[in-house]
Amino acid sequence: MARIGVFICWCGANIAEMVDAAAVAEYAGQLPGVVVSKDYRYMCSDPGQRIMTDSIQEDNLTGVVVASCSPRMHEATFRKTAAIVGLNPYTLEMANIREHCSWAHTDRGQATEKAKDLVRMMVEKVRRNQPLEPVRVPVTQRVMVIGAGIAGIQAALDVAAAGHEVVLVEREPSVGGHMAQLDETFPTLDCSQCILTPRMVDIMQSDKIKLYTYAEIDEVGGYIGNFEVKVRKKARSVDIDKCTGCGDCYNYCLSRNKISIPVIVSVADRLDADMKKTLDEILDPAAGRRGVLLGVLQDVQDAYNYLPADALRYVSEKLNIPFSRIYGVARFYNAFTLEPRGEHIIRVCQGTACHLKGASLLVDALGRELGIRDGETTKDMQFTFERVNCLGACAMSPVVTIDDQYHGQMTTAKLLKALEGIESADASRPEMEAAG
Amino acid sequence: MTTLTRLDTVEAFGELREFLRLRQDPRQTVISVCGFTGCKVNGSDAVAEALKEEVRKQGRDDVPVKVTGCHGFCEKGPLVVILPQGIFYQKVGLKDVEAIVEKTVIGGEIIPSLLYTDPRTKEQYKLESEVPFYAKQERVVCRHSGKIDAARIEDYIAVGGYSSMVKVLTEMAPEEVIDEMKRSGLRGRGGAGFPTGKKWEFCRMAEGDEKFIVCNGDEGDPGAFMDGSIMDGHPHAVLEGMLIGAYAIGATHGYLYVRTEYPLAIRSLTRALEQAHDYGLLGENILGTGFSFDLELTRGAGAFVCGEETALMASIEGNIGSPRQRPPFPAVSGLWGKPTNINNVETWANVPVIIDRGAEWFASIGTEGSKGTKVFSLVGKVNNTGLVEVPMGMTLREIVYDIGGGIQKGRKLKAVQTGGPSGGCIPESLMDLRVDFDELVKAGGMMGSGGLIVMDERTCMVDVARYFLEFLTDESCGKCNPCREGVQQMHNILERICAGEGKDDDIDILLELAEYVKDSSLCALGGTAPNPVLSTIKHFRDEYEAHIRDHKCPGGVCKALIQYGINADACKGCERCAKECPQDAITGEKKQPHTLDREKCIKCGVCFETCPFDAVYTE
Ligand SMILES: Cc1cc2nc3c(=O)[nH]c(=O)nc-3n(C[C@H](O)[C@H](O)[C@H](O)COP(=O)(O)O)c2cc1C
Repeated sequence: MARIGVFICWCGANIAEMVDAAAVAEYAGQLPGVVVSKDYRYMCSDPGQRIMTDSIQEDNLTGVVVASCSPRMHEATFRKTAAIVGLNPYTLEMANIREHCSWAHTDRGQATEKAKDLVRMMVEKVRRNQPLEPVRVPVTQRVMVIGAGIAGIQAALDVAAAGHEVVLVEREPSVGGHMAQLDETFPTLDCSQCILTPRMVDIMQSDKIKLYTYAEIDEVGGYIGNFEVKVRKKARSVDIDKCTGCGDCYNYCLSRNKISIPVIVSVADRLDADMKKTLDEILDPAAGRRGVLLGVLQDVQDAYNYLPADALRYVSEKLNIPFSRIYGVARFYNAFTLEPRGEHIIRVCQGTACHLKGASLLVDALGRELGIRDGETTKDMQFTFERVNCLGACAMSPVVTIDDQYHGQMTTAKLLKALEGIESADASRPEMEAAG
Repeated sequence: MTTLTRLDTVEAFGELREFLRLRQDPRQTVISVCGFTGCKVNGSDAVAEALKEEVRKQGRDDVPVKVTGCHGFCEKGPLVVILPQGIFYQKVGLKDVEAIVEKTVIGGEIIPSLLYTDPRTKEQYKLESEVPFYAKQERVVCRHSGKIDAARIEDYIAVGGYSSMVKVLTEMAPEEVIDEMKRSGLRGRGGAGFPTGKKWEFCRMAEGDEKFIVCNGDEGDPGAFMDGSIMDGHPHAVLEGMLIGAYAIGATHGYLYVRTEYPLAIRSLTRALEQAHDYGLLGENILGTGFSFDLELTRGAGAFVCGEETALMASIEGNIGSPRQRPPFPAVSGLWGKPTNINNVETWANVPVIIDRGAEWFASIGTEGSKGTKVFSLVGKVNNTGLVEVPMGMTLREIVYDIGGGIQKGRKLKAVQTGGPSGGCIPESLMDLRVDFDELVKAGGMMGSGGLIVMDERTCMVDVARYFLEFLTDESCGKCNPCREGVQQMHNILERICAGEGKDDDIDILLELAEYVKDSSLCALGGTAPNPVLSTIKHFRDEYEAHIRDHKCPGGVCKALIQYGINADACKGCERCAKECPQDAITGEKKQPHTLDREKCIKCGVCFETCPFDAVYTE
């Protein structure tokens, strides 16, 4: 039968302020297998550790749970102390109720409940733990990195720079992964090629890195420090040393669909006929001309009130512009939105004259009335409310547009009346239809 | 719409112009209705329709009703002017239409109730040219405003439009045109004031098999709408200016980049492009002179930074609008790597009149370093808000008081903000400053595109700085670090000050950050972003200190630092505020002074807005 001791640490106010340590201790005392449960101000202090060692000896404990900080901090401390009084150190576990609990939460009741759960889990773990003896095994000083995208490449270069051998395995014929498909990267908007390609060259030049492309992992065995991995090199029937990458073999290959150029499914196949027709009308006149993207996106938005994702994919295919760039453009400009908008669009002008004359009070009032923030749409898809840059009607400030109608010298009272007007007009519409 | 005949020769154009000119009878009665945003908001469309209907009904369909570009006096819209006398009616409603046609158009009588009365002197004015708002203005760019129908190219041709282009194509070498522009002293109206002739020369000299010109109609400065009104009311002047520029520079293709928030300007320019094409004034072999030039319109998509020239070009190319390092300047490597010349709307619109009346005439207007006129949008807490065009060098005091009619509700002037988010606030003590490119910069402001925003004592200068930095934080493209992070940090500090949580060293930190951001940003958006902060600290440091030390907002704006209250002496117990209050925080008997419960008050400001007696105060 397990005889487990649980010790709950306050860590001064760090834990005690957000977790009711005494309540956790009391709870832990009821758990199966637990014979003692105590809480103390600092378990890592000398008196704190003495509470634990005394209890191990007096209560004949077979396992211990210390509920305190992260095991990275004090697991070694407590295991060493426990070992001194004869407890197998691997029967001691820590429940992290500080970083994972008290520091992360603001509700004392819920945090205390979570601390109880964490302690219960650790008690169950200790009940199942076996006493262990440490052994020494030799470690192979070589690292395998699977996947030669930008992360794999960088990891391989770092490990190689630290002086170890690296085996880098990539499933595709070429390294580079997704980064090779991107246009620009956040936040500096550097071209991704400029970041990626020098590193691609570096892995080829490093004498510490052995690269297998067009190869897959078949089996992984062994354990940390001594893995055994079986790598299958796919047949490429090409003498890599002589290949210049001209691509001719791909064109002449009889079984070329088996070569790994990904088959791209065209979005055109799944667009519904109406959308395709609308988009074709917008795109056909634009095809082959330069500087048309902004206008095309504006037309698409005019047609749908927002930019549907599939429409953007279709634009990308037809204009032969990378989807990533189109997405970037759509996100950059305020006039574009990727979410469907409400039936009525209310815009509050944010020009200087409007600001001076109380536009922010109008924004507050709309937020209160509609229960949404600017840029959002009400759940019933009735209203979208947006703040817009100066509409150039400064003489009439503050200005609000409702469904593109300008309303000047707006006041909170007038605005709320206008909203009511729209709501009641909408509400009476179905009745009229029914009557008609 | 009539189908037009394409004009194949210069002579054919001359004949058309003569025909149109002769058809115009200077004694003819014309009803001119302003059709720009301000008047539209107040219902000018319906008034114009009703007038058309009414002249028909009263048997005078020979009297044309013209919907024209902005007349300027937006405050008093809808505006109706009866030509040729120039009788000026303001705040015209549908109920006045019948009387206007019957009494004024047919009977030749004036309707006193529609005339403008100066609220200060109580004097009434009959003619547009006498109204003080117009009397001190000098209209060069907007010289046709209110006189021609912007939707009709024939109106423009009849008053001499496109004749400057013909003059240039037939009588002047490209170098002569550039020389004329240089001698006129025209400086770019887009903000920085770079000499236009010189810019054209750079682009003309640049090597390239293809060259572009661009009209910057992005007008992103909040509180400015001059460019919008020029594009709406004078679209052909912009096109003609660009045609002249294209000839001088050697460009074959041009772009009009117009912000999408300006549907009226987009419609007007699109129509103008069609008409110019139909007449053969745009396209291949214009008027048989061998000169070809085409223009297309690109709508912006709501990004302030796209007003910056390199970002604007990226945007036309269909990219994210982020600026790039200059040099190379657009004149060397612009759109698609080709030499490109970018000018502002108002700059282009100045070109035809300079060619028409000559560089010397133009240079005789204005100051030593800034020639010609400048169109401003005069807005904010001033009585006569609207569009004004004045010679360079007029004092701010003249603009705000003589033209603008002083401050609303008789309050005190605190400052005038110029230059949008890149500009600064000029305090009341500097009102005698002569407005031109250089004087404004000396005072910590900037010409910018020409917004003049008047601020009274109920404006909080810290809040103004916070407002502009919020705008710039939103609009920063995020490419360079100083602007993306630095402006954000400055904004955070200002937010804190406005929330009453300012710290003693905040002003110093703001000043220090301002220097870094100014010096190290990639483009002028970041380079000028600290200006609103610097100029308000320079002139209104006491307001910053009041927020930080005393937790008071002297302007009565910053929510966290004010309380609303009702002045019992001024309150008449009309109950309006109590009805509107969303919190039911205001109580009182009818006709008795009301009281406001500060526990319930959420400071939404509704009572302040509604009170007709100014009895609601903030402290
Ligand atoms: C952030 C930023 C915004 C700008 N916005 C505008 C604008 O809205 N309109 C404009 O004409 N120029 C704007 N400019 C100035 C342009 O970069 C450019 O100088 C101008 O179009 C040149 O025309 P000009 O020589 O006729 O003045 C802006 C500059 C910056 C840095």
